[in-house]
Amino acid sequence: MSAWKYKRLTPKVIASKLRLISKKDLTDLCGRNLEAVSLELSKTPYKQDIAGIPTARLDSLSLERAFFRNFERTCMEITDCAPRGVKRLLSAVQSKFEANVVKTMLRARAANISIDEAMSYVIPAGRLDEASCRGKLGNSKNIVDLIETFSDLGYGEVLKNSLTEYETTGALQTLEAVVDKYVYSRIWEAVGKLMGVDRRISRTVLGIEIDSVNVKVVLRGKALNFHEDQIKRLLVSSSDVFEAKDWENAMRSRDVKSAIESLLSAARSSLARDHQYVLNDVLKEYERSKSLSRLETVLDLGLLKTSLRMVRRYTYFFNVGSALAFWNLKWFEIRNLRAIIRGVEANLSSAEIRKLLILPY
Amino acid sequence: MSVDLAVIHPTRLELLRLRRRRTLAQGIVDILKKDYEALVLALFELVRRIPILRNQVREALNEAYNSFIAAQMIVGPTKTEEVSLTCDPVDFDVRLGSRKGVLGLVLPMLEFAENATTDANPRFSLLDTPAKLDESNKGIVTALGCIIKLAEAQATMKEILEVMSVKRRQINRIEYKVIPQLEASIRYVELILEETERQDAIRVRILQRKRKERALRTVLVSL
Repeated sequence: MSAWKYKRLTPKVIASKLRLISKKDLTDLCGRNLEAVSLELSKTPYKQDIAGIPTARLDSLSLERAFFRNFERTCMEITDCAPRGVKRLLSAVQSKFEANVVKTMLRARAANISIDEAMSYVIPAGRLDEASCRGKLGNSKNIVDLIETFSDLGYGEVLKNSLTEYETTGALQTLEAVVDKYVYSRIWEAVGKLMGVDRRISRTVLGIEIDSVNVKVVLRGKALNFHEDQIKRLLVSSSDVFEAKDWENAMRSRDVKSAIESLLSAARSSLARDHQYVLNDVLKEYERSKSLSRLETVLDLGLLKTSLRMVRRYTYFFNVGSALAFWNLKWFEIRNLRAIIRGVEANLSSAEIRKLLILPY
Repeated sequence: MSVDLAVIHPTRLELLRLRRRRTLAQGIVDILKKDYEALVLALFELVRRIPILRNQVREALNEAYNSFIAAQMIVGPTKTEEVSLTCDPVDFDVRLGSRKGVLGLVLPMLEFAENATTDANPRFSLLDTPAKLDESNKGIVTALGCIIKLAEAQATMKEILEVMSVKRRQINRIEYKVIPQLEASIRYVELILEETERQDAIRVRILQRKRKERALRTVLVSL
């Protein structure tokens, strides 16, 4: 492990971390109106992104776009400072947002809406900037044409492989799941190329992230009484904590609780301590509230807590842990801000908004 | 209250027939009033039920909208709107039927039937949407069920009110038209019969007086 590799990344992460909005400031925003929230945010690093929004058009949609612009810029700055292997990993993680753009474009084409309307849903990310999205949508009349336009990005090939299934079932979710699978497998590949502590940290943090996605799908599928095959089609690539049979056992479980217990026992036999912490919290929450949405919040919180635990567990400065932790902190800050502005817009009480915030401390 | 008296035969037989008809009409009014009371009771029952159903609709919709706003807070309003582009609408049917209600009335019956998802696809993307959206969906389906129950109750109420208004008209017609007409006819026949009786009595008295006078004259002539 070389500390020299992190000579640019670590100071950048520390400086960026200092600019995150504190828990107190975040909860204070809950009780204000949209204008006041926007005014408060203009005193933060979001100033540059919010400044362009005219007061008359100030709403949750425009603010959400501004937050995403800020998030993407911050991620780019961090990625640019990262050493080569970590850069590859962070770029792969960033491609989750690019995948979102692909899915949005697929949905827009399936709904056959105009390019301008489609662009109102697209939040450009990564290689898919606004001009490229417009070009791709303009050059395609249907899903097949659109998939063809993604050939230069790598999504084209995986989408083409699932086109027959899509044409048979007519379910766009098949294609959406394929895009997610592709992105998460790229992330997992990038994790595999790291060495030492970086690899250990990334495997834990990103493993929990990927497994959280799968756990959410399995538990929601169980709650909605979907067949095993239906759930299986939507699973993204798994971390090395769970094997395919563990997911199958969870899918075959009687109910949500036994599915969690089955995954927990699989995590115990893999000696995955961090997975056990998260799943224990999930089980406790489910037994307490019987609510899937609370359970999703606990999973998200679990990811955030794990990233921060990694920072505490390993040497603070010279590994990928602080970058991943910052990345997650920033993402959940964006999520919390989005929740606050939508809640404020819908005139929800401060207490109701706070319930949906993911606060790690 | 005009009664065409010319068509009434002022006979005893007619009088008996009219009296029988009046008793029958009063009996009908009693039965109609009892029916009306039963309908009023059924209506009150519905009137009590409708606000409860309305509250249920309001609560279910509130819950659904709150969950929807929570879903928007979690994944963002753009994403929820975007997911809605390709999501199928709630597939349901309203089965129309009828049932026997109060007084054997045929009342409308509406039944909410959610068509089971035939294809193997969830309604929303499980990867891109939170479970709150399922809760919202469930809330909307519950609200739909309640709305249909409310519609059934209101249709039943309308039906009962219509029957009540028919019954009220029937009662009024018999009570304020048929029975007074019959009573007027009875009075007319009774008057005519009394008049005839009086005339007969006078005629008998005159005949008796004439007979007495004739007998007296005969006695005087024989003397």
